[in-house]
Amino acid sequence: MSFEPLGENRFIVPIGPQHPALKEPGHFEFVVDGEIVTGASVRLGYVHRGIEKGAEDRTWIQNLYLMERICGICSHIHATAFVQGVEKLAGVEAPPRARAIREVFAELERIHSHMLWLGVAAHEGGFDALFMYSWRDREVVMDMLEMLSGNRVHYSANLIGGVKYDLNPEMMDKIRDGLNYLEERLAHYLDVVNHDETFIGRTRGIGTMTREQAQLLGAVGPTARASNFAFDVRVDAPYAAYAEFPVEMVVAQEGDLHARFVVRILETMESIRVLRRIFDNLPESELVTRVPRRIPAGETISRVEAPRGELFYFIASSGGEKPERVKVRTPSLCNWGTVITLAVGHKLADMPMILAGIDPCFSCNDRLVMVKRNHQDPQVWTWADLRNYGIEYYR
Amino acid sequence: MGLEVSKPWQQALDKIRTWARVNSPWAIHFNSGSCNGCDIEILATLTPRYDVERFGIKLQGSPRHADVLICTGPVSLQAKDRLLRIYWQMPEPKFVIAVGSCGLSGGVFHGCYNIVKGIDEVLPVDVFVPGCPPRPEAIIYGVAVLLEALKSGKRPERTMTVELPAGFEKPQAEVRQ
Amino acid sequence: MSSLEETLQRAENLLQPYGQSFNRPELNRLDVYLQRENLLAAVQALLEARWGYLSTITGIDRPSAAVEEGQTPTEGEIEVLYSFCSGAAVVSLRVRAPYSDAALPSICPLIPSATLGERELMEMFGVKVEGTPDTSRLILADSWPEGVYPLRKSFVPAARFSGEAKGG
Ligand code: SF4
Repeated sequence: MSFEPLGENRFIVPIGPQHPALKEPGHFEFVVDGEIVTGASVRLGYVHRGIEKGAEDRTWIQNLYLMERICGICSHIHATAFVQGVEKLAGVEAPPRARAIREVFAELERIHSHMLWLGVAAHEGGFDALFMYSWRDREVVMDMLEMLSGNRVHYSANLIGGVKYDLNPEMMDKIRDGLNYLEERLAHYLDVVNHDETFIGRTRGIGTMTREQAQLLGAVGPTARASNFAFDVRVDAPYAAYAEFPVEMVVAQEGDLHARFVVRILETMESIRVLRRIFDNLPESELVTRVPRRIPAGETISRVEAPRGELFYFIASSGGEKPERVKVRTPSLCNWGTVITLAVGHKLADMPMILAGIDPCFSCNDRLVMVKRNHQDPQVWTWADLRNYGIEYYR
Repeated sequence: MGLEVSKPWQQALDKIRTWARVNSPWAIHFNSGSCNGCDIEILATLTPRYDVERFGIKLQGSPRHADVLICTGPVSLQAKDRLLRIYWQMPEPKFVIAVGSCGLSGGVFHGCYNIVKGIDEVLPVDVFVPGCPPRPEAIIYGVAVLLEALKSGKRPERTMTVELPAGFEKPQAEVRQ
Repeated sequence: MSSLEETLQRAENLLQPYGQSFNRPELNRLDVYLQRENLLAAVQALLEARWGYLSTITGIDRPSAAVEEGQTPTEGEIEVLYSFCSGAAVVSLRVRAPYSDAALPSICPLIPSATLGERELMEMFGVKVEGTPDTSRLILADSWPEGVYPLRKSFVPAARFSGEAKGG
């Protein structure tokens, strides 16, 4: 449980720059003693672009598009957190239909994100078939998002004071069909995760985190809920339309990697259920309310539940056209802290799965890994080497 | 390079090289500080709906095996060094595809302090794929455009000098183009 | 709603000995202004009572008077918010440190995961966090100059965002 800087004998894993589904590339340094990891530290900043500073130079509306592009996987939820904060400062509330539509996008995004993660995490463990299947099925959600907004990734559904896109009955029917298919597939994945022997062998009892640890380390989202640390902003502090269309919180007791898989799959199913409920009772109203161009001075905190956990925005306005300060704390940042601690005491071979298990948004491409064991010369490994090493180790 | 160009077998060899290159380009993907939007779309091209492997395009890990560098993001200061390193590690001939608006000009991150503003500030880019993010089809099309240019030998000469990252030695044996 | 009120009230009672002043800016929020000497004790009080979890550490630059661009700023302060969440309730411990003595005690001994937030504070605001275990660079590039803190208001990026589309 220490974050001490590392000494001489280190095994450096720059999980970094090169891979596809990565949100906050980090550079990890692991100290290894034989097979066992005895220490870890992290270096971020490969995707640091200076957004918080950039936000101070842009108007409220321009910022909306900037915030959306903090992350391509959770773009809607970033924008939602931002507009909700701004709306609070301006003292307006989005109309009920707009709030419901925000929830629709948020839940569709959650489904896409969790399926993406399922594939990536499976890939890290060498279960490539599952990777391909879950990404194939994920395209169904991408189609829905494209149908609603015209774009597959940055849907830009939010406006300050409401949303841009409306839902019509044909769209809802199409989405319902898609959801039925997905529900079936998810039930199948749940079955695989729970019953496939090799899968269980690589996930049960690995990377276990107790509830106390989760709380102390500040774990958030599904990672925390898998350790029975039950909090979910959607339930605890309902925003958008979560008060009218509540979701059930999914928690698990075990706290291991397996529990993280199960929690995420069950959460996806819960999203499907709540989407159906919204479609059946979508409130009627206009889509936007008027918001002044200058936002009154003040400070606010806006919290939402992103697919990876609690997303925290602090927004300060000095009464002008531009914000005074925007602070964004993404869920992955919290979960890095848990990895540093979780890694200690585990086998090197488990690292890819443990890292993938918190869903820090990184996946299957190549990263360079330097291995320096005890007093040997440092070796350079690629991430693929480490991954293969992990797969071979369990063969 | 100049000596043996005229030899017929050399010409034949060149043809075979181009044929092989065009039929199965290996690509490496690098995120230089992007928001991931482009990256998940690149990954999506690998998966069953789009499946670029059926065209012989393979996304793989090591820069030393790659012909094409598919790069996203506005190039953050911290990632710049890594990007250069990867570029230098790739064997000649090598090609760069810049994917996404922010790889083209900095896009939405324009004016942020920690970016270089576009991949073409750092590397000679062969193909630009605009979009935020571009659809997977657009990315595949970008690769196809590159291959077309290779096949017809219409690739423009590169004049840009690429910076060497600190502590990196220029590879000795430059393979002939 | 009453349970939200209770939660906040409980926090207020816990922090009573340490806070200088208390403020309720929003229904679900409690701001507690502290002297930095009392920061650790206040965090300890919340932890011992198992009140919520540390959600984030936010820094804000507060230059004193209005400073013209390019002029040297006069003595300002860095304000730091330690936000704790419990359900819908958010308690922010607010401390201030003047530029000339921009230092705060580390809360890592109590909450190890605060390390990332504290490292960010050091890099982006130039606040010295005394006793934080890891002081290596976390976010900024290796080539970033020492002593330049991008989130201070006095820092102006070379190429600013103008908001106008480029012509031609
Ligand atoms: S172009 Fe758009 S989607 Fe692509 S990385 Fe940049 S911001 Fe993200």
